[in-house]
Amino acid sequence: MVAAGRSHGDTQPGCPHSRLRHSSSLTMVPLLLLLLATAHGFQTVSYTPELAKKFLEGQTTTTTFVLEQPRCAFKFQENDINIRIWLVVAAPEAVSNFNNSLEPGSPERAFQNFLNGTNAYMTLGTTTDHYPCPKNPQDITVLRVGSDTSCAHDKDVPTCNGPLPGPGPYRVKFLAFNGSEPVKETQWSELITLKKATPFGDIPASDGKHSAGMIALTTILSILFAILLAGLVAMMISGGLDSCGSSSFTKPDMVTVQRYNTHHVYDQPAARL
Amino acid sequence: MAKSEDGIQILRGLLVFGNVVIGLCGIALTAECIYFVSKPQDFYPLLEATGNNDIYAAAWIGIFVGFALLALSILGIVAVIKANRTLLQVYIILMLITFAFEMASCITAVAHRDALTPNLFLKQMLERYGTTGTGMTADVTNAWNKLMVKNHCCGVQGPSDWQNYASKFRENHSDADFPWPHHCCVTDAKGSPTNLDACKLGMPGYYYRNGCYDVISEPMNKHAWGVAWFGFAILCWTFCVLLGTMFYWSRIE
Repeated sequence: MVAAGRSHGDTQPGCPHSRLRHSSSLTMVPLLLLLLATAHGFQTVSYTPELAKKFLEGQTTTTTFVLEQPRCAFKFQENDINIRIWLVVAAPEAVSNFNNSLEPGSPERAFQNFLNGTNAYMTLGTTTDHYPCPKNPQDITVLRVGSDTSCAHDKDVPTCNGPLPGPGPYRVKFLAFNGSEPVKETQWSELITLKKATPFGDIPASDGKHSAGMIALTTILSILFAILLAGLVAMMISGGLDSCGSSSFTKPDMVTVQRYNTHHVYDQPAARL
Repeated sequence: MAKSEDGIQILRGLLVFGNVVIGLCGIALTAECIYFVSKPQDFYPLLEATGNNDIYAAAWIGIFVGFALLALSILGIVAVIKANRTLLQVYIILMLITFAFEMASCITAVAHRDALTPNLFLKQMLERYGTTGTGMTADVTNAWNKLMVKNHCCGVQGPSDWQNYASKFRENHSDADFPWPHHCCVTDAKGSPTNLDACKLGMPGYYYRNGCYDVISEPMNKHAWGVAWFGFAILCWTFCVLLGTMFYWSRIE
């Protein structure tokens, strides 16, 4: 069984002999650890957990996130019926000295103590038949982390898949146990940061801008109204002038003058001007 | 002399025509404003909650202005045909008053329409949706629920509104169980969600992805265009007719 490099990369894969040639007491320690690991059969597979690849609106919310299932990550045999695969959710500082041997359900790995005494918890434990390989391309294979609110405060359910306590960030990995011993693990994921809710008081209610249409409409109407008022005033003034002055200048009058007939001009017809 | 007589006749004809058009436009404006005021809008409680229902005030003014325009156009036709100076003066003054009112109506409609930004509705929704009180808050919740179910939309800009901002809804409903209200889920014939888990995950086809702002703003835009810009067109025409009337007034005895 060839051991792949440990997750914090202390050792180079495949060069134990070169290390022996340049041996000093310090380099013996990682080699011993490596030998211990191979002796127990503990493996780290190369799979890295990631958020769900298909578009989902709820891929990350403020207290939950959605992971791809670790299909075809572990290559377990049919007869590994005691294998249970657990999801480890940890704060980033827990990654460097993470102890794989702590069993799920122990107080150091209880969800209710997460970020309140411990910095990692384990949940969503299943048997290998829930992650069959190869995966059917039609299936949507996701895991919703944080979906169970009923057991979030129930100390009797330390492996609760409860809502995350804050926006994180978090790192996750899958850890397979055979009975009470860890046998395989995946790589640690990238940092997963959840959404953070802005208080609604921060939303500006209005940006105070007026649209171009409104400004144009107001300006044009004001100008038109001003012109009409000016016209009305001009009308009033000219109307006032007219009533003072003689209207005969503007109006062609029909003036009839009656010619008074005296008896000596009786014959002449009346003349009209 | 004959030429100016012809000119006056043409002007008289044009003014009568102009007043006929004003009268018809007045009827149209009244009818349009009555339509806007009487149409039941699902989201009226939302407008009430924002304190911005003055857009209806503009429509109410429009109704009365329309009637006034009709009456004054008839007065105008009579005054122009009779060539009576006093009557024409009365006509011009009353038309100016009506012009001022219609101007107010147009500007109000456009200004209030501009105030109805997405952020305004978003803030109201986050503050009031989901509260189980009585009165206006319950109205807002019911109005949003009806709006979302009927128009297949969620939130103002989308379901992410409930994720990106804190809200009254979030105070009473946990994020894990209600990333967004269940009214955003696609429902079957009986009204229950087809797949609640898929809806909570946000799987396309099981929740409504679009925001409701377009649904709200579309009638408001039509309303604003109808009242403000039609009113503006009428006022431009009225301006020309009034200028012509003033000129005519100055030319007759």
